[in-house]
Amino acid sequence: MTTAGLASRYAPSLHLVLAHFALGIVGFVVFSLALLLRALAVQGHFFQPQLLGLVHLCVLGWLLPITLGALHQLIPVVFEVKVRSERVPWLALALYAVGAASFIAQLWAFSLGSAFVASAALLVVALYAYLANLALTLLGSRVRTLTGAYVVAAFCHLALAVALGFLLALHLAWPYLAIDHLRLLRVHAHLAGFGFFGLLIMGVAYRLLEMFLIAYEKRTWPGVLALICVNVSLVSLALHHVLAPGSHGLHVAVVVGAAGIAAFVFQVQRIYRARIRRRTDLPWRHTAASFCYLVVAGVLAIALALSPLDDALQARLSLAYGFVALPGFVGSVIVGQLHKILPFLIWFHRFAPYVGLRSVPAASELLAEPPQRVQWFLMHGGIVAIALGIALAQPALRLAGALSLFSSSLVFARNMWAIYRRQP
Amino acid sequence: MTNQALEELARAALREVPDPETGINIVDLGLVYEVKVDAQTGAVFVTITFTSPACPAGDAIAGGIERRLQREEAIKTVDLTVTFEPRWSPERISPEGRASLGMDD
Repeated sequence: MTTAGLASRYAPSLHLVLAHFALGIVGFVVFSLALLLRALAVQGHFFQPQLLGLVHLCVLGWLLPITLGALHQLIPVVFEVKVRSERVPWLALALYAVGAASFIAQLWAFSLGSAFVASAALLVVALYAYLANLALTLLGSRVRTLTGAYVVAAFCHLALAVALGFLLALHLAWPYLAIDHLRLLRVHAHLAGFGFFGLLIMGVAYRLLEMFLIAYEKRTWPGVLALICVNVSLVSLALHHVLAPGSHGLHVAVVVGAAGIAAFVFQVQRIYRARIRRRTDLPWRHTAASFCYLVVAGVLAIALALSPLDDALQARLSLAYGFVALPGFVGSVIVGQLHKILPFLIWFHRFAPYVGLRSVPAASELLAEPPQRVQWFLMHGGIVAIALGIALAQPALRLAGALSLFSSSLVFARNMWAIYRRQP
Repeated sequence: MTNQALEELARAALREVPDPETGINIVDLGLVYEVKVDAQTGAVFVTITFTSPACPAGDAIAGGIERRLQREEAIKTVDLTVTFEPRWSPERISPEGRASLGMDD
């Protein structure tokens, strides 16, 4: 057989990817349980031990492990190059799991001593090991695309976010910073949330949406514009908080960032309208919901930056903004895409060898639709209720939403387990 | 067996190889560009493409084609070529494929 770029040959071992997914799925359950137990206390200023603990449990426990696993699958296939080393991510995962668990626990208890700094250091080593391995992988690729530019930019923002996070952890243990550390914390949060997750999702979305919806949108200028805007927004935000707090840098950051989001959403709707596959599945509906949360987060950011708000409303909308951005936008994409990626991986490794020998189900048939639908409604009902409960200071609504989100995490874990167990 | 009969046999067999994402067979999806045969030697030459160069299921589809064709007694050898020239386009989808994708809904 002669082939012209069989991208699937570059894919890594199944267990490397599944180990990361498993950690993240457990993390989702643990995060949503912690949120349920503390739902009544999710209010006030964001700089509180258990709110910080919840945010880091969400990011480090749920969102990041799954993202890292997906990157190890996606980069080799999209960029047609094998992962530089498969040992490094295994070692990094071990360090990451220990570091993250210890870090979150100590942040939650506000135990900010040497052990806290050591945990943070473990996380730094693990994350930089991941980044170095993936960056070297990318360098070995000859594929040059807009998605590649997004991925590189996302990696840069993650590297900066991690470094800043470590500096902040040091400061919490042994105060040394001359400037208000809350300003740096905002920069850290946006580098990680908007810079890393945001750019990665945007860049990869162009490829995945085209693949799953069977749509080809040749014009890429909205994607280029979005990439520029997000980076300019983050630089402006950092300069505002670090160098010139009284300047208009925040306004520039918010307006330019919103323009970037608008350009991205515009490109997504063009891809959607050009799609061949008319019937959309539940994983796509998770992704569509995520884009709605992205728009809402953008609107909240504008309101927070440009509108005169009293302190109480400012605090509530800040928390709502963070919740809509992380569990809402990022979480929905991750859950939705895992409903595509995991079935495909199990199909590829277990069912594909039987293609041509006997009838095999399609990847989408490895999980029945009803449990997916239940999970979708529980998750998005929960996210909306929690966000509204935070914004409107309604504890009962937060509690109900948290119960729904926790239930959705259990159904999600059950769904992923059911897919994993499928055999020919 | 004549060349025509062997080609028909091969094309019918290819209809049993699905695209894992859509579940539609690769013939109706328009992925099969060319089928040439030599009935005397039992050789089948198939040229296919994928919807995207980065299609993660490429290996699976290619392997499925070879396995399915080799189940036919009349087919002795299978030569499979994957190409992206020209790029696949939706116009190649058959009416049955279009119906499965809901393209005309």
